[in-house]
Amino acid sequence: MSAFQVQLEALLASFTNVAAFMQLHWSWPAAESLHFIGLTLLMGSIGAWDLRLLGFMSEVPVTAFHRLVPFAVLGFGINAATGAMFLVTFPNQYVYNAAFHLKVLCLLLAGANVLFFYLVVFRRLRDAVPGSPPPALARLSGAISLCLWITVIVCGRMITFFRPAICDPDGPVAFIADCIVR
Amino acid sequence: MFDPFFTWLETTTLSLWLVESPSLFAFPGILAAHTVGLGLLAGLSAAFDLRLLGVARGVPPAAFARLRPVMLFGFWLNLATGLLLVLAYPTKALTNPVFYLKLGLIAVALVVLRAQLRVAHESLVSPRTKRLAVVSLVVWAAAISAGRLLAYTCTRLTVEYRCS
Repeated sequence: MSAFQVQLEALLASFTNVAAFMQLHWSWPAAESLHFIGLTLLMGSIGAWDLRLLGFMSEVPVTAFHRLVPFAVLGFGINAATGAMFLVTFPNQYVYNAAFHLKVLCLLLAGANVLFFYLVVFRRLRDAVPGSPPPALARLSGAISLCLWITVIVCGRMITFFRPAICDPDGPVAFIADCIVR
Repeated sequence: MFDPFFTWLETTTLSLWLVESPSLFAFPGILAAHTVGLGLLAGLSAAFDLRLLGVARGVPPAAFARLRPVMLFGFWLNLATGLLLVLAYPTKALTNPVFYLKLGLIAVALVVLRAQLRVAHESLVSPRTKRLAVVSLVVWAAAISAGRLLAYTCTRLTVEYRCS
């Protein structure tokens, strides 16, 4: 583990109020349920939008479909908030977790794809004749988005199986997970 | 009473592979696929509900009905992965009342979705269809929460072990 990870763990661990709340009896399961509801909202609205970008339902104006995007942002907001609550409660379960690293990487790439979409693709898409097949860049952006969000879900689900164990530096290394050396 | 049945299920080759295999494509992969299927089926159903409630009015409800194959893909994916997850830990699921609550909620959500898809060609959304959309959103949220809570409400993990 790097010095950066150790510092990050310490920083995240300083939100003790949130951690105390999350360790109340039903806080964690309730936050998890909300995280999955947010996932559904995000995946459904962004999935429908991505399918439109890929050329499904191309007779429907893209601006009409764009009204779904705020609900994807809402789902993302719910999940960013609940996700941050998990993170600060048990920081070492995430900071040293390979599945979480890949999830964060995919989230960053999804963010870059959103920038690419609004800076480059959206203008061309709006100007396209309704009913015509979407421009290649729009299809590319939609495909990237679908793949990345599915990978985010898969990596999120994999976090449990990559939990690092606290172990002896000279002892055997746990399967998959890294040891947190104390 | 059902313990001999659970014991038999838990000792089938497939169940043992699901639980004991170190492969990420065994239990972890199936669980992940179940979550992707949830996102597709419940997610697109929720997006359709939002449209019926007046969001994105420029999109005809019939356009959403054309996403039916994607929703069906999510449904079959989750039926298959769900059966495998139950086969992996049959005692855990089948002795937990919350599991039956989850199945009941999913059944209601699917019946509502079918009814909504049947009226999707109507350009004017009736008040009844709007009420169904609210029911659908609430029932999906409840089904998802029930599914998530299975991990916290189980009393027996296997015939031999209790849930910790």
